[in-house]
Amino acid sequence: MATRELSGPPSILPLYAKAALPMIPGASMLPFVPGSGKDVPELELVMPEVTFDAKSLAAYNRVCGFTLRDAVPSTYIHVLAFPLHMALMGEPNFPFGAVGLVHVNNTITQHRPVSMSETLSIKVTASKLRPHAKGKQFDMVAQAKAGRTIVWEGVSTYLRLGKGDPSLKVEHEKVEDPPVSATWRLEGGLGRRYASASGDRNPIHLYDLTAKPLGFNKAIIHGMWTKARCLAALESVLPDAYKVDVQFRKPIPLPSKVTFGEEISKDGIRFAVRNARKGTPHLDGTVVQVAAKKR
Amino acid sequence: MTPTVRRVAVVGGNRIPFARSNGPYAHASNSDMLAAALDGLIERYNLQGETLGEVVAGAVLKHPRDRDLTREVVLGSKLAPETPAYDVQQACGTGLETTIAVANKIALGQIDAGIAGGVDTTSDAPLALNDDLREVLLDANRIPDTAGRLKLLTRLRPGMIKPAIPANQEPRTGLSMGEHCAIMASEWGITREAQDELTIRSHNALAAAYDKGFQDDLITPYLGLERDQNLRPGSTPEKLAKLKPVFGGPEGTMTAANSTPLSDGASVVLLASEEWAKARNLPILAYITEAQTAAIDHVHKREGLLMAPAYAMPTMLDRAGITLQDFDIYEIHEAFAAQVLCTLAAWEDPVFCKERLGRSAPLGSIDTEKLNINGGSLAAGHPFAATGGRIVAGLAKELSERGSGRGVISICAAAGQGVVAILESAGGSK
Repeated sequence: MATRELSGPPSILPLYAKAALPMIPGASMLPFVPGSGKDVPELELVMPEVTFDAKSLAAYNRVCGFTLRDAVPSTYIHVLAFPLHMALMGEPNFPFGAVGLVHVNNTITQHRPVSMSETLSIKVTASKLRPHAKGKQFDMVAQAKAGRTIVWEGVSTYLRLGKGDPSLKVEHEKVEDPPVSATWRLEGGLGRRYASASGDRNPIHLYDLTAKPLGFNKAIIHGMWTKARCLAALESVLPDAYKVDVQFRKPIPLPSKVTFGEEISKDGIRFAVRNARKGTPHLDGTVVQVAAKKR
Repeated sequence: MTPTVRRVAVVGGNRIPFARSNGPYAHASNSDMLAAALDGLIERYNLQGETLGEVVAGAVLKHPRDRDLTREVVLGSKLAPETPAYDVQQACGTGLETTIAVANKIALGQIDAGIAGGVDTTSDAPLALNDDLREVLLDANRIPDTAGRLKLLTRLRPGMIKPAIPANQEPRTGLSMGEHCAIMASEWGITREAQDELTIRSHNALAAAYDKGFQDDLITPYLGLERDQNLRPGSTPEKLAKLKPVFGGPEGTMTAANSTPLSDGASVVLLASEEWAKARNLPILAYITEAQTAAIDHVHKREGLLMAPAYAMPTMLDRAGITLQDFDIYEIHEAFAAQVLCTLAAWEDPVFCKERLGRSAPLGSIDTEKLNINGGSLAAGHPFAATGGRIVAGLAKELSERGSGRGVISICAAAGQGVVAILESAGGSK
């Protein structure tokens, strides 16, 4: 596999422009526009020296509800890896553009708490395309190391809607929702606030007007904000080392009132986000403890 | 029923390094910093899941949104959520006053263990609505009809956009703490040289304490800071002599070096009954044996604003049946070098001791070699409510390392108040 090293995070805005270009018919014929490949390219993007900045971390923590501790939230490392996701999806031989992809699942494994004074190296690769009931899916696989130790891993599964394999349709298990412990009011500008703190300025999150051309009646909040907000709500009960897996169900339009439910047992934590009025499922998640690595 | 009084153990303490205002902690809130200090304490003493008797902390500069600041921090921590908590605010006395509050409940057997602490940020300061604007808005809320509300809009003025900024100012005198201290320094004839000398000693002593590892189990690094940002060892009298006075006019003796800077930080102390500590195999660094708070009238009787500790001390000494010389260590909070020197001068002065304290003889002088031996607030910085916890934990550790002895703490606070306390080594006092 080819590896390309980046000295700093790529700028995301031009990547979004590039990511949207394949939506224009014929644009993929151009050499610099994604969409020419048949499958996900075998390429590894690496940022060898990633450091934390207190101001950015504080802004992220505030919008997601985290206390600014010395240990960084596990979802924040995803934010640092995200520009690499975008850069990889912006490769000319990537089979399609990133805009229009649906983030369906995200799994993060924190092997030990990461201090904001540490320097990490982050690498991102993509899996091969797999069939899905509603199209094709693939994973963006990210890994963060402190020295030689893998301290954090993230897997984001994206769905490209299209011709799918209906036999793969999974029925959601009819389990009872975890009991509600909080109600959150998501204000209209939340998508813009999170966009500014995370760098993820996908137009579907910013304004109703910018979301409409992409098939959404209203701006929707980032799935990774919702996941982070859940972890912030669970901060006092999270183990030092854990795996948190969430499934993004229906998008949350802004503004919204949603409920957060949680169930803590010896096997782990089950949590869910639902629309407060209609019960529409937005997110289902679990946390399980994993073996902690030494610092 | 007569309650039995138990000995109160200081098990240990933790703080984050103190930062200068708008430095590395510029974007951290009071709850963030208190949580960080508490996290480190929980980690160090294995308090995960423990239900403690209570956690008491506070902040001098507090946002209105931080209702139940301490309780909310507890809920976000690894302590059992069934641990009660409340806030205290007594200006710079907060950290020591919370220690006394928790200690007293332990002494009376009402609780077995608790955490005391304090936090302050001068960077993430609360800005309030301009009072004129606030009145218009509140009036608007009281008026039922839209027309009436619209009429109120005519009362709005561009100047109302200016927020109300918390001022370091005594409400009844209009003077800042530094200006008050400058008056004290001049009344007591405290020289610039003496203040600068105390300042240099403070920095060198704190630097030495870091170098020998004394701070290792008193501090948890936070946001990239591992030592107090204000610490400047190796300064010389010549360098300090060049600084211009900041309080007391051009003839003043107080400078930015011999006054504490505005700071951000948090500290916490774990206190317990002996049985509780022993059952968990936790150390007992020292016992808290006495405490006293006093206040003076700086408004009508013209006493020096920061002189209250001078009054609290003899009351406490009499109750303990000891003299000012019966201590091995003196921890006098260095709000300003001049404050420490005024207090020492007052205790030596027969007239002050007779007329103000009503004593036949002065309290006398102390051996200054025993004063603030691991550095003081001039070096560490002074996030108002966090200073008490820093001093209690440091003194307890010093007493524990010596294995014997007795130490005293003296902290002056705004609004003319002062808090003092005695700690004794768990090895027994001499």
